[in-house]
Amino acid sequence: MGQLNLNTVQKFYGTFEVLKGIELEVKNGEFVVFVGPSGCGKSTLLRMIAGLDETSSGDILIDGKRVNDLPPVKRGIAMVFQSYALYPHMTVFENIAFPLRVEKMPEEKLKAKVEHAARILHLDQRLQQKPGMLSGGQRQRVAIGRAIVREPKIFLFDEPLSNLDAALRADMRIELAKLHRQLQATMIYVTHDQVEAMTMADRIVVLNAGEIAQTGAPLELYHKPANIFVAGFIGNPKMNFLAVTCKGVVDAGVEVDYKGQTVVVPVRPHAGLVGRTLTLGVRPEHILLGAGDLSLTVTPTVIERLGAHTVAYAAIGGGEGENYCAMLPGTVAIRPEEQVLTGIRAADCHLFDEAGIALERRVELTDIDMGLLDPAAA
Amino acid sequence: MSQPAMINRYRWYELIAIYAGIFVFLAFILSPFVEGFLVSLKPLGLLFSSPYKFWPENGSFDAYRTMWVSVPGFARYIFNSFFISTIVTAVVLVLVVPSAYAFARFKFRGSGPLLAAFLAVNMFSGAVLLIPLFRLMRTLGVLNTYFAMIVPGVAFLIPSAIWLLRTYMMRIPRELDEAAFVDGASHFYTLRRVILPIAMPGITVVAITTFIGSYAQQFIFALTFNSKTEYMPLPIGLYAYFGRQEVIWNELMAASFVGIAPAVILIFLMQRYLVAGLTAGAVKQ
Repeated sequence: MGQLNLNTVQKFYGTFEVLKGIELEVKNGEFVVFVGPSGCGKSTLLRMIAGLDETSSGDILIDGKRVNDLPPVKRGIAMVFQSYALYPHMTVFENIAFPLRVEKMPEEKLKAKVEHAARILHLDQRLQQKPGMLSGGQRQRVAIGRAIVREPKIFLFDEPLSNLDAALRADMRIELAKLHRQLQATMIYVTHDQVEAMTMADRIVVLNAGEIAQTGAPLELYHKPANIFVAGFIGNPKMNFLAVTCKGVVDAGVEVDYKGQTVVVPVRPHAGLVGRTLTLGVRPEHILLGAGDLSLTVTPTVIERLGAHTVAYAAIGGGEGENYCAMLPGTVAIRPEEQVLTGIRAADCHLFDEAGIALERRVELTDIDMGLLDPAAA
Repeated sequence: MSQPAMINRYRWYELIAIYAGIFVFLAFILSPFVEGFLVSLKPLGLLFSSPYKFWPENGSFDAYRTMWVSVPGFARYIFNSFFISTIVTAVVLVLVVPSAYAFARFKFRGSGPLLAAFLAVNMFSGAVLLIPLFRLMRTLGVLNTYFAMIVPGVAFLIPSAIWLLRTYMMRIPRELDEAAFVDGASHFYTLRRVILPIAMPGITVVAITTFIGSYAQQFIFALTFNSKTEYMPLPIGLYAYFGRQEVIWNELMAASFVGIAPAVILIFLMQRYLVAGLTAGAVKQ
């Protein structure tokens, strides 16, 4: 109960194609996060699954049944809105009871259900208060309570935490993860915050310009991004990209040249690479102080001391802005406007072809078992 | 006493200028009422004394007693006014609440032109349409009834009421409708359980303005569409104090004050529904 299938789902606004044939399968009990930059269509897709926006073409199936033309309540979904959307004139009890009142549930049964939901969400003491008297986190819990009492097959969350402050967001993230384990329900969660995506998701769907850029477990996206977009989107600060030339293909991988230095990146090559300009990607947290397989002398312009880390920004390759970023240990002895030698290990590098598609990395995942990370394989 | 906010602090000469301005405008608005009240206290003979005395010497509330005797039907006129305005307000609300909701929420063909047309109707004063309306009423055979005074009143008050309430309802977050829809509520259920309670302050404003508007405009409709004494509303009824020889000014003034008293009391009572901040906590703003 709670299986969702999207078959070439499209959405047009006039002639503008917002969603370009989305194919997705969400298994029962899975926590799937849609993530992407604003305007990528993630909220539209969620609203189409909810039945608030019309689907232009393609099929939306819930438990194998086509629901395109059904109203939300017949689809077996419940939705939690970004802005909470609580009814301000009703008490917390009545807010949570609203869906049950609509279906005219007998008072006793209704009371039991509302109280059960309130207990799960620690709202038992607040049932007689109005939303205006609650804090942001409590309001969002009321909104979740209204979804729980319906016992839907699929929960839909539309950026539910983006209105909360940072500390509360971290708390709610943990509570949502616990709630998911407790209810064992299918949850689809839209966010633009990659921390929420990485921490809560069983599987992340990265959307870009109306298309699925990549689907996978959080660490799969981090270690094996399928293209430049996902590589740049997942990870903070953003991945560094350097233009390199392909010198040749060897057993160990692809040999590339960056301003006279050659390095062999352990990736699976494909034909016709030699002589091409490729993009080498390396995450800021993988840049080391001192020489590496590839060494760069840079002059940091801005240094941010975060305590645990020091983030240094520099401009390289005649770039206008700061296009090179290194995440170094917290107490590292570097100063702005003073040259520093940084190194990159070949094993940490990502390589992308001219179309922006990644050459698959031969990552030694000895310390992380991908099988455990990907629920599909487990 | 707490200090006013920085933005509200003024120098002494600014304060004097502000209060002087307030006094001038209030004097303009309130002096007719003061004079009217003073006149109602004076005996008739004193009104034409020369030199004119503003302050009533040996003033009394006699006029408030004698007014009921010289125009016996006056209570009926007050009732008529009140009755017509109440019915007009009720009918306007019943029609305007759903239509304002529709204009605020639904996209449908012609909603823009329709709203513009409503504004255009407001530009014609009722007076321009009196003759056509009179002919219409005569053809329908409804002259000299309450109906003739209520229906035009409703028609002329609906446009501004729709504009007023639509604006108010557009400020209610759309997510509330969507949340109710996701939970299976129909449009009417949403309107009744969610929108109506939240829109109550807006509806109260519309009710008050409609009631006042109806009170003010019934004069012109009553004058043209009705000639029966028993259906006369207050503004026409006041004419009864204009005698053949003389106008009983003190009783006329007393009657004016007594006549508007019920409306003032009603509006005073309705005011407590004008509570601000009813949407607090609905959505994050």
